[in-house]
Amino acid sequence: MSNTDRPSRRTMPQFPRPGALLLLCFLATLIAPAAFAEARLVIRSASVALDEGVYELNARLDLALPEDARKAIDAGVTLRLDYEIEISRVRSYLPDDGIASLVQSYELQYHALSQRYLLRNLNTGEQQDFGMLPAALERLADVRGLPVIDAALVREGPTYEVRIRAVLDMGTVPDALSWLLFWTDDWGASSKWYSWTLRP
Amino acid sequence: MDAPSLKRAASAAVMGVGGLLWLAAILFMAQTAQNSEQFSRLHPWILMINAAGLVVLVGLLGAKLTQLVRDWRGHVIGSRLKARMVWIFGVLATLPILLVYFFAVQFLNRGIDSWFNVEIRKSLDDALVLSRSALETRMREHLADTELVAEELATVGGASPGLLESLRRQVGAVEIIVATESGAVVAVSTGLSSEIVPDEVPSEVLMQLRQRRPFVSLEPQAGGGYLVRTAVPLGETVPGRQRLAVQAMYPVAQRLGALADTVQAAYQQFGEKDYLRKPLKASFILTLTVVLLLSLLAAWYGAIFTAQRLVQPIQDLVKGTRAVAEGDLDTRLPLTSHDEMGFLVHSFNDMTKRLRRAREDQRRAQQAAETERANLAVILARLSTGVVSLEPDLRVRTANRAASMILGSDLEAAVGSRLADLGAEDGLLRQFAESARARLAAGDVEWREQFTFQAGMGRRVIMCACTPLPSEGDAPGGFVLVFDDITVMLQAQREAAWGEVARRLAHEIKNPLTPIRLSAERMRHKLLPSMGEKDAQILDRGTETIVQQVEAMKEMVNAFSEYARAPRFEMASLNLNNLVTEVTDLYRAQVVGRGVHLNVSLDPGLTSVVADQGRLRQLLHNLLINAVEALEGQPGGEIAVTTRLGQRDGDEIAEIEVEDNGPGFQRELIGQIFDPYVTTKAKGTGLGLAIVRKIVEEHGGHIEADNRAVGGARVRIDLPLSATTKGQAAPREPRRPEPRRERA
Repeated sequence: MSNTDRPSRRTMPQFPRPGALLLLCFLATLIAPAAFAEARLVIRSASVALDEGVYELNARLDLALPEDARKAIDAGVTLRLDYEIEISRVRSYLPDDGIASLVQSYELQYHALSQRYLLRNLNTGEQQDFGMLPAALERLADVRGLPVIDAALVREGPTYEVRIRAVLDMGTVPDALSWLLFWTDDWGASSKWYSWTLRP
Repeated sequence: MDAPSLKRAASAAVMGVGGLLWLAAILFMAQTAQNSEQFSRLHPWILMINAAGLVVLVGLLGAKLTQLVRDWRGHVIGSRLKARMVWIFGVLATLPILLVYFFAVQFLNRGIDSWFNVEIRKSLDDALVLSRSALETRMREHLADTELVAEELATVGGASPGLLESLRRQVGAVEIIVATESGAVVAVSTGLSSEIVPDEVPSEVLMQLRQRRPFVSLEPQAGGGYLVRTAVPLGETVPGRQRLAVQAMYPVAQRLGALADTVQAAYQQFGEKDYLRKPLKASFILTLTVVLLLSLLAAWYGAIFTAQRLVQPIQDLVKGTRAVAEGDLDTRLPLTSHDEMGFLVHSFNDMTKRLRRAREDQRRAQQAAETERANLAVILARLSTGVVSLEPDLRVRTANRAASMILGSDLEAAVGSRLADLGAEDGLLRQFAESARARLAAGDVEWREQFTFQAGMGRRVIMCACTPLPSEGDAPGGFVLVFDDITVMLQAQREAAWGEVARRLAHEIKNPLTPIRLSAERMRHKLLPSMGEKDAQILDRGTETIVQQVEAMKEMVNAFSEYARAPRFEMASLNLNNLVTEVTDLYRAQVVGRGVHLNVSLDPGLTSVVADQGRLRQLLHNLLINAVEALEGQPGGEIAVTTRLGQRDGDEIAEIEVEDNGPGFQRELIGQIFDPYVTTKAKGTGLGLAIVRKIVEEHGGHIEADNRAVGGARVRIDLPLSATTKGQAAPREPRRPEPRRERA
């Protein structure tokens, strides 16, 4: 006789009491979103440099994806990373005056047929492919020579503040289902703003 | 605004806020689902709003349940019914919701799993492998072409542009690059018109080449389609110089690329959905759970609310019924609906209104009855006729004051007593009650009869009528006895009759007496001298007898005349004690000679009485003569004359009492002792006491005669100090010894 023929009291499936079940479900609705690990996004360094009349951005992002996210990418989920860049003129007694804002977006996707990771610049349409995910992520975390503002728009004298942050999202879920993922929106993450002063 | 209204308003406000929050959460959810970025930003708010909605519902439900439990423990009216209804409604709502929830979860689990079944996954994998195999064949062919180009270049020993162009066209590549292993381009031949500067050789390609191994990969292009990248190292080069490599890019046929794209897209989408399966299921279940919780809480709250709405009119009705039971007929219930319950409430209000009107009518009728009863009581109390009402079992129900006065007993104190138990032995009340009871017991319910009773002070004649009282049934509702003491009236009638007899006697007898006497005296004067001695003696005795008898008759006629004569009063204030002393002094010597002792006791407080002195003197004479004659021949006789200042009905009176220790009145004649011609003496007119009573009544007084307990007669007279009733005044009713009370 196998073990399944002699179910002990401890191994019997216990149907929870309705009240306890309801309470658990209620608590689950409140704590479920916080139960998943989040991606780590930190802007390590960022700076702008003037090159041929255009200020170009160089930034370095510390991007650590949880294992779930890596598996999701391998499974076909598209990862989207936005660099949000804002430049504003600092004013003493008034709110800062926004000069320019820019969103640089990338999509990272696994191409199963070619077994390569495709990194797509959504602003330019350029596409690169990588054989390994770390190589693709390394490229994603490294921003070099991204033109952000024409030097003519930045006058000498005032102080400007440049700030940048990265926003990670898994935004390829169809709209019809996205509201259902309301409860498990755990992949969304954003870094804190990294800001510095620009004095032309 | 009162407290319940505030509570209702606050509850409605909380419910409204909760409902709005929930609605807002749903709207947010619907709106943000279209925008991933907005969704991420509003995600915490949506969570918070949903949680707040749940908390609000839980709070409301908790408050309601707490109130319900408190009402249950406090035995509040309707709390048990409400609890039962809440339980029934709640269970009825919960069971289908749980059932739907259970099946929905099962359906979701199985439905979503069925979307990602093994066959689809395997087919896609196979399609992917197939596509990949097809492409790998091409890739190997292109790699072989590139190795051929590399051998050719190695054979030639250089990479001239012409040779490179020729080789590119020969193998069908879109681009051939000869580069060092560090990536520096040495020569290039490209068929891509858009590219002036060739792309760098990727680092992974260089890494592979440094290891002297060929490289081949399939690269999807941004604009669609595929390129096959191949790279092979060139042969040995001159020592000290960098080694070279050849990279060639080949296009994939458009048809094949499109098919590969289709497979890739399907595989990618399926993989994405498959990976989202678990969070999708979790999301579905969590969403369902939230909806379930909200539905359950709303259902239970709705159950309580509905039960409250249903029970409230019942609670109002119970409270109203209690209030009506306690006599508060002003209770009005609020009409909250127009259904059957509203009809019930309307009926209740109508009932209380009718009850109040009926009570008002009853109160008015009772008041009128009380007024009538009070009026009747006053009338009965002031009535000189006795009225006694009896219960059907012959118990005294009511009696008026006159009844007590006539019967000489406090009948109002005997209310409730049986007729047979009334009065003392041989008393007037007992005799009356027995007579009436005998008639009623014989079944005679309506009669009229004149009773004659022997009371202690004399004979009493009572005219009594009995009538049955009406009742709802056939049996009488009781009896009423109406009676009057007609003794005095009869006495007055007799006196009037005797007065008329006396007047006629005086007139008819007195007139012939004088001629008789004159004729007798003439006969004696004329015949006596001429007659012989013997005849003269006869004539003398005869005429003497005639004259004496005529004188006697004359005196008797005068007495009758005096009795019948209408008196002429000369009322004046006099000292009664002096008058008594004066009259008794006249008799003192006479009675002493007869061995009778005369005692006079005078009250010094009795100063003056308004009366006719002559009539009062005659009264005293008659009483004293009566006493003296009663003591005729009796040794040791005593006569006591007493005056006192007394009270009668709140007025001061003068009392005269004459007692003797003679044989007293014959008991059977006591009732008629003051009647004319009633006497127990051998001689006398029998008018003495009759005249005494007449004088007393002329003065508004009262006279009683009875026998002393120690023997002898006693006559007691009351005279008012101030003459209120004089002369022709009607005789007063005899005074009764018992006190009289007005009935309440």
